[in-house]
Amino acid sequence: MSFQRMDADTAETLAGVVRLLRRAAELVWAAADAEGAGSPRQVLALGIDLAADEARSLLPDAIAVQGPVPVGDEPAGLLRSAEQLLRRIYNPGAGAALQGLRARVGDLVWEANTGVDA
Amino acid sequence: MSMPDRRTVGELLADSEALARETLLDATPEQAPAMVRSWNQLVGSAAELWAVLPSAPNSPSWSDPMERLRAIGEAISHSVTAGHWPGQGPTEEHLTQIADNLSRAQHLADRSVADLQNAPGQVMHTLYVAAHGTVVALRAYAADLQGQVETVKRRRQPIAERPTALEVTAAQGMIARFDGFEHLAAAAYLAGEPPSSTNPVQAETPTKRLETALATWEVQTHRTLAASPDPADLVRVARVQALITTTTSILTEAAARKGHIDVDVVQRLAPSLEASQMAWSRMAKRWGELTSPASRTDPALVGAASEVRAAIAATATNQAGWATPDQLASRLDLPNLVKTLHLNMVASVEIAFVVRDTAADHPGFTAPARIIGMRSQGEAEIAIEQGETRYEGVTWTTHPQRASNQLVPLPEPARRGLINLADDVLATTNQAVAAGAQLDPSDVTRSTRSGQRAHLGRSVESHQTTHRHDPAPRGPGR
Repeated sequence: MSFQRMDADTAETLAGVVRLLRRAAELVWAAADAEGAGSPRQVLALGIDLAADEARSLLPDAIAVQGPVPVGDEPAGLLRSAEQLLRRIYNPGAGAALQGLRARVGDLVWEANTGVDA
Repeated sequence: MSMPDRRTVGELLADSEALARETLLDATPEQAPAMVRSWNQLVGSAAELWAVLPSAPNSPSWSDPMERLRAIGEAISHSVTAGHWPGQGPTEEHLTQIADNLSRAQHLADRSVADLQNAPGQVMHTLYVAAHGTVVALRAYAADLQGQVETVKRRRQPIAERPTALEVTAAQGMIARFDGFEHLAAAAYLAGEPPSSTNPVQAETPTKRLETALATWEVQTHRTLAASPDPADLVRVARVQALITTTTSILTEAAARKGHIDVDVVQRLAPSLEASQMAWSRMAKRWGELTSPASRTDPALVGAASEVRAAIAATATNQAGWATPDQLASRLDLPNLVKTLHLNMVASVEIAFVVRDTAADHPGFTAPARIIGMRSQGEAEIAIEQGETRYEGVTWTTHPQRASNQLVPLPEPARRGLINLADDVLATTNQAVAAGAQLDPSDVTRSTRSGQRAHLGRSVESHQTTHRHDPAPRGPGR
């Protein structure tokens, strides 16, 4: 699923998206776990995890995802940043996978702003 | 020279059902280990035959129950091959004979599909009865072992000849796995029966979407864990299982509020579901410590998890969180969905066993040195307090490894911690399954009676399922 010929900028942008999504998921899981077994936040947290997995799978193995932990402790803000980064990527070869990811992250921004996390 | 086998598909299937009954009637404790070893061959043959049979008249086209059963058969086989109880050894004659019959039937059915409309029900019924026979033999075996453990406490016996408490636990674990298989086979068998008040035709609804997503998830989980899983896969498995458990709780409570199930059942079930959800969540967090920035999740697992999440979001939530009981009742076929979720809970016990095996056996796991050194030390201290001497004075990671937070192979105490967490999931989920037993769709036409088998010397259950082709009740028979 990875882009076969990914330029360095695109790779770094996508790696940034992975970091933002992972950080957002971490925050929402912390809130969900603190609320206990019945927390509805699990739905959003799992959604962010899965989007991060998808973003990671777009990156070739050789690309390191390590980097600074994104600043901010608002999941909705982190998700918005991830969505903006994804919009910046122009890669005609990316195809459906990248478009699917953009749509998924867009939905998650909406969920975070309108659901229990709003 | 042996005579050529001239039996038809119908005769082979009838013989297989008869053999399954014999297995049940003749089950002795000594046969139990061999039955476990033969199981995957039997399920494999059944699955291959199933693939060439026409669909049962009322079977839902969106879900293949045999896929779930095959995944469980393979997981049990994987566990035995990896050296877990009962380990390598002889196989059981009846079950091997049934497997041979089913393979022969598959070759014949490949050539002609005439007169096979009853075959799917017969295959499923054979698996159900054979699974029940194995459960009966395993229970007797575990009881015998337990008796021996207690006897050797009183008598002097060479250590090598003594059964260990660990062996008893392993046999009991295998009972839970076969019990789950039996429930799923029974439910699949009943689902193939003609529509009735206890087995209505499923409407084309969001209920169907959720049921399909759960069945697909279960099969995919087995596939991913049977391959070469990354710790990230285990995190997703545990998180999705936790979410499914919460959803089960929400929907069961809604069904009770709408009067579909007894409030008493929910009062017993809710605390067990909560404990199970929290056990899965603790497991997710611990596996999360083993992930690294480079971790990748199996894309197929991500796909299956995404569909479970989407189906739950669409059916069980609103903008404020979980949907209200009224909303849920208007969107879903609550009485039937609750039964499906109970069955899913039974299946999740098997998933927990596979996670446990993965934690115990997977050779390739590595983890960042800092966190895993700390975890290993914590688990080692607990084990030392319980009398484990091998861990005394051991350092689990080196200073350079910690300084660079290098990925290091998982030390034994860290594995032990993961196994303990899987045991917590198993204990709590089994409690939830027991508390919700009334919701089990495979119990719809079951009756229970006590009986005595001279050679087993203990009471056994009777599971009677009305056979769809017979006016008289048929079933495992005890």
